[in-house]
Amino acid sequence: MGLFRSSIAALALGAVCYGAQAGTLIFGAYPNTLTWFDEAKGAVTDRVPLVEGVPRSLQLSADKSKIFVTTGDHSGIEIIDVATHKALSHFALDTPKAAEALAFANRRNHVATHYRFNGEVVDPTGRYMYATLIQMDKGLDRYTVSKPQYAVIDLEQKKIVRTRDVDEEEANATGAAYRTALALSDDGKYLYMFRDKVVVLNTADLKVVDRIDMAKSEASDLEAATFGPELESISQPGEYVSLFNETDPYIHNRVLGIGRFKLDSRQFSFTPIGPAPTTMQGLQVAPDGKTAYTVVTNGLYGNKRCELWRFDLPTNTVQDKAEFPCRTRFSFGISANGQKLYIWGASFDMEVYDAKTLKHERTWDLNADVTYGNMIVLR
Amino acid sequence: MKHLRPLNVKARRIDELVSSLGADDVVALQQPQPQRPHVPMGCTLSFSPGWEVDAGGGTAGLCQPVERDIYDCYVTCFWPVQVPDHVNNSPDWANKCAAATKDWRNLDIVFP
Repeated sequence: MGLFRSSIAALALGAVCYGAQAGTLIFGAYPNTLTWFDEAKGAVTDRVPLVEGVPRSLQLSADKSKIFVTTGDHSGIEIIDVATHKALSHFALDTPKAAEALAFANRRNHVATHYRFNGEVVDPTGRYMYATLIQMDKGLDRYTVSKPQYAVIDLEQKKIVRTRDVDEEEANATGAAYRTALALSDDGKYLYMFRDKVVVLNTADLKVVDRIDMAKSEASDLEAATFGPELESISQPGEYVSLFNETDPYIHNRVLGIGRFKLDSRQFSFTPIGPAPTTMQGLQVAPDGKTAYTVVTNGLYGNKRCELWRFDLPTNTVQDKAEFPCRTRFSFGISANGQKLYIWGASFDMEVYDAKTLKHERTWDLNADVTYGNMIVLR
Repeated sequence: MKHLRPLNVKARRIDELVSSLGADDVVALQQPQPQRPHVPMGCTLSFSPGWEVDAGGGTAGLCQPVERDIYDCYVTCFWPVQVPDHVNNSPDWANKCAAATKDWRNLDIVFP
């Protein structure tokens, strides 16, 4: 607990204050819908059909007017207008099935091209999407799989306009390091790839201009360090805030904390929270910026135990813990007003917990599997 | 492994990797991960958690019922042996079935 005393007050400073009203949750749902859920009513209010199939990831534009949806069926991208719920644009990058069948029937050497994307991020203008991808070319008698590549997708021309092979250092890193989170600088000039190190690329030519190894930084005193998912609720413009695991070089003790990476100055700071549990499911900060929540998981399989933890940020203390029946796998989120905690996926329903008491309140039936596309909270 | 000899390039690379790992480092205050049981690869391709047994060789870590997580087995081709293949052969298998736990009767029939 001592580590908490010296830890996370600074997080409160970065939080944005929102009103206490309930908001709207937007899920990517099976088989091909964007589901709009009203928190106040506790009901689905709209299901927007997606032309391009199963939603795989959602991303809200900087001005919160559009949602960029990537789909898994045919490497599709669909842009949805938040105000009208209408599709503004959609396209698929894979070779259409009909063209593939025709090419195969005509015995062409190149039958089709398919892609697999990761880490999609849209630039501030909303025109270009940056991602890492693998291209698979289907021939008459073989598949040819490309090296991992950085790619730029023009959302107006509806095609991949530039690619560049991921450097060997990242392509061969343990756990396919190129399949990770990407972020863009505010001016769109630099692309950042986060994992055990930060790789900085120039968006003009997709060449690496810098590699910042956290473990080798003299200031960090870390043996190993890994970025987790971004903490959007306490991120400021020009900053990537993430859960962060670090290991010291002497006794290899794993410590969990918050890493802040300034995208322009490339300065990194780490605020330790405490010993790293076996698994920690994200960190959700309430809109007041004073309270944060996480799910801590210990044990495996039948012995797995899950707890909701509540942190008080100004005093750096863990205020409460409560065990709950955890699912085999799940996602964790917080309501727009910070008063409810959500556990959902892999399934069609969502468990709602009261953020103050950490007690189960109700189960919301979404009536569609929401395992894939992540959730957007509109305030 | 002393009774086995690598015969091809891939096997030699595996052998070199295993040899290069060496003994575990001795450290203090480490939080060791529990050793996982070795589940034989056979009728299923992956066990994380598996279809018949979970990654620990038991059944306690499985999704219950299994339909709760059916789309991740199907859409990503994670278990192409147990469920149809979404990518190539059966893209419409579950198109009328948004929540398989409740409406699994809407799953399509697949003929091999």
